[in-house]
Amino acid sequence: MAFNGWRRILVSRLTITILIILLLFLLGEIIFPGFMSLAHVMSILRLSVFLGIVALGQTLVVLSGNEGIDISVGSVVSLGVVVSAYILGGENFNIPQALVLVPLMGFAIGLANGAGVSYLGIPPLVMTFAMGNVIEGLSLIITKGFPTGQAPSLLEVIGSGRLFGLVPYLVLLWVFFSVITVIVLRKSKWGNILYGVGTNSLAAELSGVVVRRFRMYIYAICGATSALAGLLLLSYTGTPYLNLGAPYVMPSIVAVAIGGTSLAGGKGNYSGTAIGCVALTTLNSILVAIQATEAIRQIVYGSLLLALIAVSERRGG
Amino acid sequence: MLKINRYFKEIYSSTAFPGIIIFLMLIAINAVIQPGFFTYYSFKLNLLSFTPLILVSIAQALVMLVGALDLSIGASISLLTVFMASVMGDSPLSIALALILALGAALAMSLFNGFFISYLKLPPFLVTYASSAIWFGIALYIMPTPGGYIPKPFYKFYRSDFLGIIPIPVLILIGVGVIYFILSRLKVYKHMYAVGGKEEAAWASGIKIHATRIKAFLWSGVFIALAAICLVSQTATGDARCGLSYTLDSVAAAVIGGVSFSGGKGSLAGAAVGGVILGLLINILYFANVTSFYQTFMKGIIVIGALVVGSVTRMKEQTIS
Repeated sequence: MAFNGWRRILVSRLTITILIILLLFLLGEIIFPGFMSLAHVMSILRLSVFLGIVALGQTLVVLSGNEGIDISVGSVVSLGVVVSAYILGGENFNIPQALVLVPLMGFAIGLANGAGVSYLGIPPLVMTFAMGNVIEGLSLIITKGFPTGQAPSLLEVIGSGRLFGLVPYLVLLWVFFSVITVIVLRKSKWGNILYGVGTNSLAAELSGVVVRRFRMYIYAICGATSALAGLLLLSYTGTPYLNLGAPYVMPSIVAVAIGGTSLAGGKGNYSGTAIGCVALTTLNSILVAIQATEAIRQIVYGSLLLALIAVSERRGG
Repeated sequence: MLKINRYFKEIYSSTAFPGIIIFLMLIAINAVIQPGFFTYYSFKLNLLSFTPLILVSIAQALVMLVGALDLSIGASISLLTVFMASVMGDSPLSIALALILALGAALAMSLFNGFFISYLKLPPFLVTYASSAIWFGIALYIMPTPGGYIPKPFYKFYRSDFLGIIPIPVLILIGVGVIYFILSRLKVYKHMYAVGGKEEAAWASGIKIHATRIKAFLWSGVFIALAAICLVSQTATGDARCGLSYTLDSVAAAVIGGVSFSGGKGSLAGAAVGGVILGLLINILYFANVTSFYQTFMKGIIVIGALVVGSVTRMKEQTIS
């Protein structure tokens, strides 16, 4: 009994992923001495936060089933960055306004995604792909190619400050979000419904859930978290740039797959995704450090996703 | 009177109805904003830019018929232009070699996607989304910036006229018509509809599901190669990004043309017409002097609009039948 318990922990996805992270750090340390220093580990964790928040929404969308996926997240993050900067204009008293308006904007975009997917039956990947282009265009229209505004001092403290000079505030924020998400998914009635919708939408419908509307709101939440990630990203960069979100799309999906959430929906949790985000950010740091080009990164992420779905998504038969 | 009524009803309830109306409206709008729309010159210019889109739409429709989807289509076209632009030189031999390489690579990529989707039974969306990143990465690795060499006689040929009057793209499209004619007489074509429509029933009647899916992907590869050859003739350069927009465009065109996401419905001809419709729509953006900042946005809205119209039509059809 005890042996079986240990065995399950040892071969569990989470353990394997954590082992992979350790291996990646060792590899990094071999190539670049100092890679494993506490300060560098902390900065990798901080970089994981943005991917982590994006992947939070992505996890919910994937869990909701029906081949759920959102690849408009990148454009929404980008829009979040430029709109946050525009609203904030470097003034602290604009922060509450930005905290309300930016996620609300993402929510509205997600709602449109969800409506197309749920009510019109457009495949999620196609719908969110198309929406991503529209939002990218929206960023261009708003900024005319040159984003203006900047993060105010208070936000910059959150973005680059560290508790006791060690743990970045952003990481603490992420841990807080993660714990809430995991608990809500596992313990709340809402979490139960989400798993139900993802596993067997017909059964969920029969038990009184309006599946279409529920799924639509899941996309809306994903839009809101992505926009929030944009706001946080601005707190880190200080000044806005265009297309800051694009590099998060593919990793957010890969992170979900690494974390053991079935891309068919209904199975998994955010804890796995979060660990997956750290693993991918570590991998990305190594790739950046060895000066791998965009081309190499695309090939690596594409192959990784293909391998992951080949291992875990076989429909059987 | 009653007969006429029924006649109108039949037209109205057909899946092609919104397509036809939109098509006529687009012709009208284009005729107004595009100077000399009905002239020979203008016709040829439009044809040059529509031909790759029409071919990609047919390629996309082929895999959609068997219930799959190819989101790597744009990246594979980019990669093919990169291949051709790196291999081509001035000698006819190198040009022939480049064309053979393009066709071979297109078939290999389609086989790759088809294998993962059909034999490993993986979801087509995810597989082709992943392979899209791989193709794009390889293209970017070979050509970080657009370049390569396309010999002048080669790209001049695409713009030239057969017998001094028939534009080459017309000949290409006639050739496509011939391929379509042959394909539609083959057994595999009927099997594709069967597999896309009701997989279990197709299986029960002895159709080889996997082989049919793979064949659909391979036929799609032929059209992808043709599209890439036309595109590289049009742009005269290899570019890792030049094909990317074709991914969504082809899906939208196929959907406007009546091809359904669940497979088994629609036709390649419909997808081709969908391609023309989308081309005319995008034309409006250029000729209506839309500021460049608005173009990405407007183009996205057009594609979403096309998806929505196509989906609503499909729903209407479902409620009728």
